[in-house]
Amino acid sequence: MNWNEFIFFALISVVFWYTGVLSLYKSKSKWMGDALIIIGLLVFGSFIVALWQSLGHPPMRTMGETRLLYSLFLVLVGYITYRRWRYKWIMAYSVAVSTVFIIINLLKPEIHTTNLMPALQSIWFVPHVTVYIISYAMLGAATIGAVIVLYKGTEKRMGYFELIDNLVYIGLGFLIAGMLMGAVWAKEAWGDYWTWDPKEVWAFITAASYMLYIHAPKAGVSRKNSLWILPLAFILLLITWLGVSYLPAAQGSIHVY
Amino acid sequence: MDRESKSGQKTFINDLIIIIAIVIAGFALQIAAGPFDYSIISFPVNVILLAVMLLLLLVKPSGSIGRFGSAKVSVSLLAIMTLMCLYMGIVANNGVKTSWPFVLIYLLILINIILVIGKRIRSFKWSDYGFYLNHIGLFIFLFSAGLGSADMQRYFMRVYEGKVEWRGENTKTGELTDLPVAISLEDFSMDLYPPKIAIIDKRNGETFPAEKPALMESFEGSYGNIGEWSVKVDSIKDRPRVAPAAYIIAKNKNNGETLAGWISCGNYFQPFKTLDISDIYCFAMTFPEPKRFSSKVEVFTKEGLKKSGIIEVNDPLTTGNWKIYQYSYDTNKGIDSEYSVFELVRDPWLIPVYIGIFMLMAGAVTLFWKGGRK
Repeated sequence: MNWNEFIFFALISVVFWYTGVLSLYKSKSKWMGDALIIIGLLVFGSFIVALWQSLGHPPMRTMGETRLLYSLFLVLVGYITYRRWRYKWIMAYSVAVSTVFIIINLLKPEIHTTNLMPALQSIWFVPHVTVYIISYAMLGAATIGAVIVLYKGTEKRMGYFELIDNLVYIGLGFLIAGMLMGAVWAKEAWGDYWTWDPKEVWAFITAASYMLYIHAPKAGVSRKNSLWILPLAFILLLITWLGVSYLPAAQGSIHVY
Repeated sequence: MDRESKSGQKTFINDLIIIIAIVIAGFALQIAAGPFDYSIISFPVNVILLAVMLLLLLVKPSGSIGRFGSAKVSVSLLAIMTLMCLYMGIVANNGVKTSWPFVLIYLLILINIILVIGKRIRSFKWSDYGFYLNHIGLFIFLFSAGLGSADMQRYFMRVYEGKVEWRGENTKTGELTDLPVAISLEDFSMDLYPPKIAIIDKRNGETFPAEKPALMESFEGSYGNIGEWSVKVDSIKDRPRVAPAAYIIAKNKNNGETLAGWISCGNYFQPFKTLDISDIYCFAMTFPEPKRFSSKVEVFTKEGLKKSGIIEVNDPLTTGNWKIYQYSYDTNKGIDSEYSVFELVRDPWLIPVYIGIFMLMAGAVTLFWKGGRK
């Protein structure tokens, strides 16, 4: 299995996901949409498993590989949230955003098979990256919710606040867990748990802005106003994930790939 | 707005003025005294600071000091810290870490957290365990990592195979000092990934095609496609101290042209060898990348401890208060390196740091367990 076959798996998954979302809205069947989405997830997941096997190491090394995982986890998180809260839009949006990342991976793969350097050969590698990607997916979903409320107003959407808060708390929990695992790993690999490396600085900025969102209502900021923090925080998150390598401060960072 | 929140508003403005004044004082100190020297908070100063901060737990929340533990102050400090980190994250060689305003805001955050904890403890409830894990964990972590870092000692030590070394180079100052730990290097060894075969543009040394370089693994019998060529590795030369080389047979899929010959990446005493395709392009071999490198060592301490083991990346050796890391080797000679470079770290605050991390980790679990429920 290699990246040349990705397009087939991606196409099949996307077709399943879109017909799945469509039948959530249109079909009277209770299980049709769920079944289609789950089949799509299984097809996409099987590509990742096969790729993992053929690489001999987890596909988390290159930018393209992290985007691949994001495409999967975003739909998975969207589906779980849909099952829990019954918001069809979150399913639709997560499929749409996932498609964007699939298209990026098809057009600009950034996947030159790189060997796994010694520092990455650690038991922390897989949990560190996975937890981060899950967190990004949660916070992405929260951002979608925030943008909808900000755009359409708060009337009749009070339930959204609960959903958004849940997603942010869970996402931040995963984000902090990922950061701490990274710290423990860094201590084993480089002798220090935190060195203010540019990726670490940006990871901190991201976490701090979500902490600001959580604490703002306690400081008297209205819930509606504090929602503005979420799209901003998500932009910072995207810089942490995708943009750090392009920043002047990051030249010579150990985290740039 | 009732009277109480009005007076709350007023104290917050006072607190905000204090914060801004402290930041300005920080800038003044920066200009007057230069960058912050962490050694001034090394033991016992940091322990005294810790005692003072713990005393703040007893401060009355409604008093003038206690009010500094309000959520508004927390949010303001967090926002200022985020802005400083944005600067740190964008501008190269920024020196934020060692700047006075950064250090002072860091201290204010610690004070704010301890006051927040002190306030909550007065109405202690077991159901607040998530709050306590996150905030006490954060305090312990920030304190030990930030103020404890002044007590951290780090040295590089270069040891030749078959030799013993006890002198270390301070990673910050570059000073050479005798350490209470000595390392004897029995053997340095390295595993490599097989080198790869690529088509290279001779004009600029870039791999072809430029956008999506096609690299092929080289081991006996391996084959693959690079551009319009199908390449097969006929035989491999891979002996110790000799640069790896491969005899390849390449066939052009368009015109059937066949090329064959040895290519090698060369090493520190053998030149590289390429196989020309045209005036511009040639087949070449990339340097093999290290898969794993490790040092078989025996470590002695002044107290008479003796320990032997293998040190490799992600697997340090602990002896007494010191942790010894595999840091580097002679990168020119790669697999034939005759020495190994270690990093020796002594961090007396490591255990509190781990306690903080552990509490925060448990706190993170409560975040995704409870979600936004209050």
